[in-house]
Amino acid sequence: MEPPRSSGVGIDNSGEYSPEIAETLRFEEEIQSLIHPSSFDGSAAPTGGGSFTALLGLPANQAVELLHDSGAREPLASRIRVGGHPVHRPFHLPLDCSSAFPSNATLVDRAARFSVFAAEGSPASSSGRLKAEPQDSDSPPLDPIPTGPAKRKDTGRSKCDVRLSLSFKSQAKATAKKSKNAEENTDGDKLPYVHVRARRGQATDNHSLAERARREKINVRMKLLQELVPGCSKITGTALVLDEIINHVQTLQRQVEFLSMRLAAVNPRIDFSSLDSYLSAECGPVTVRNGPGGVVVDPSLWPTDATAEATRRLLVPQFWHIDLVPPQLQPQQSLTTWERDGAAHSQLLPNPTTSLFLYDPANSGNANVPHLTAKLKTAEDRALNL
Amino acid sequence: MIVSPSSSSSSSAKTKKAMKKPGLGDQEETKWRTAAQQRIYGRRLIDALRATAPSGPQAVKEAADSALALTARGQSRWSRAILLSRRRPSCKFLLKARRGRMQPKPPPPVLKLGAPASPEGKKVSERLRLLGRLVPGCRKLSAPSLLEEAADYMVALEMQVKTMRALADALSGASLNAAEHAVSDE
Repeated sequence: MEPPRSSGVGIDNSGEYSPEIAETLRFEEEIQSLIHPSSFDGSAAPTGGGSFTALLGLPANQAVELLHDSGAREPLASRIRVGGHPVHRPFHLPLDCSSAFPSNATLVDRAARFSVFAAEGSPASSSGRLKAEPQDSDSPPLDPIPTGPAKRKDTGRSKCDVRLSLSFKSQAKATAKKSKNAEENTDGDKLPYVHVRARRGQATDNHSLAERARREKINVRMKLLQELVPGCSKITGTALVLDEIINHVQTLQRQVEFLSMRLAAVNPRIDFSSLDSYLSAECGPVTVRNGPGGVVVDPSLWPTDATAEATRRLLVPQFWHIDLVPPQLQPQQSLTTWERDGAAHSQLLPNPTTSLFLYDPANSGNANVPHLTAKLKTAEDRALNL
Repeated sequence: MIVSPSSSSSSSAKTKKAMKKPGLGDQEETKWRTAAQQRIYGRRLIDALRATAPSGPQAVKEAADSALALTARGQSRWSRAILLSRRRPSCKFLLKARRGRMQPKPPPPVLKLGAPASPEGKKVSERLRLLGRLVPGCRKLSAPSLLEEAADYMVALEMQVKTMRALADALSGASLNAAEHAVSDE
């Protein structure tokens, strides 16, 4: 089991005692065996059995807890030493260990943290230094408590083990829960390999790392949405924020519906010809009164806009098949130049019924449409500036 | 983004340019909020309105949505969903789209949250499902992509509302003008 490792750590003297100590480390049994100093060598118990009894007597409960999971073996004993200096000596049980337990605990912690456990490199060294050691952190969480000590002996010792075993247990629950959920999440977005340093007190196995990265992504996007939706920054809680977002999207969709109703109501009145005339009116109010031919359109715009349109169409992927349906201009009261141009385009087949956007690059009207759209655009600019 | 080179449009572009928000959605928001986009969309919308011999508000709405989706240039899932749902006679294009763009990843996982066990987690997952139903084409989408799509969709919707409102105002104003002119001409 652990004896070779433990001996290698630094408690050289105690190496001899480790086998006996290892066996005896079960809860009450350990204490029982400790009562018998005969199992140890002379140097083991300079204070004799009295110290053992003291160890046992006083805080028998504490002793049990201390020896709880792990090898609170001779390192523990050695650290219980009075004097407050971490001495790696086997079984120098302090006489006043009873009163010294609490303080010794801190000493033990400090000592363990800096010496033994650092040497061992176990994850028990310090929670703050938890680099992801999946094996070490994975194995403990899955062990039930009784078998804990068996494992703990391998991984570390003394009081640090106790504390860390407790933390392992809490982590165990967390990681167990997360590992359950992590499976279904890890096949989510494929991230480039993310190197994350675990923070203090957080589990470092792969599952929790992936889970944490995933949560980070979701949180970033939620924050973005919160900024988008007005008045959502003050709200805390994912569910409420989502409520607001859903509300906002529904509001926007409803607005679109109302506006479309408005446009539908306005459309028949407009009679797209007069739409043209209105838009041309935006260019210059004179045009409508002047009747046909009053549109003042900058012809210099045409070629440039034609190129713009052409390039824009080139960018459209071929399979999009967007059709700028040629305007169906019904000759009405006032024919502007647009309509005259439009009449020229009437050769283009109108397809109002089939699909709205069927772009036909082979359409001969292409060359002409840019002009129309150019005019539309300039007038529209003014219309949209309203 | 192709901006029309006319001088008037450039001035309007400056006035209408929205503030850029730093962060993940920076590109999407500035993409949707520029005046150039509005113009493009408005133009498309007008063309579409012309095309549909006015058959009612639903057609107008569909036209508006299709125009919006077009303006998205197929870079977002919802726009692709809108366009592909409108075009019935184009199965082969559907396939092309699906192969090319619709599924860059394997069949999207069913929406699941990290901790659905808790009641709050259940609420959240419910809401996410609802959101997926609202945004077209995003029913079965993972949480982060769904949120991204929702953000894009929301910005696009805002632009759509703004443009349609301006257009409706202009048109109603135009109809008034035309009526006045017709009356005055007589």
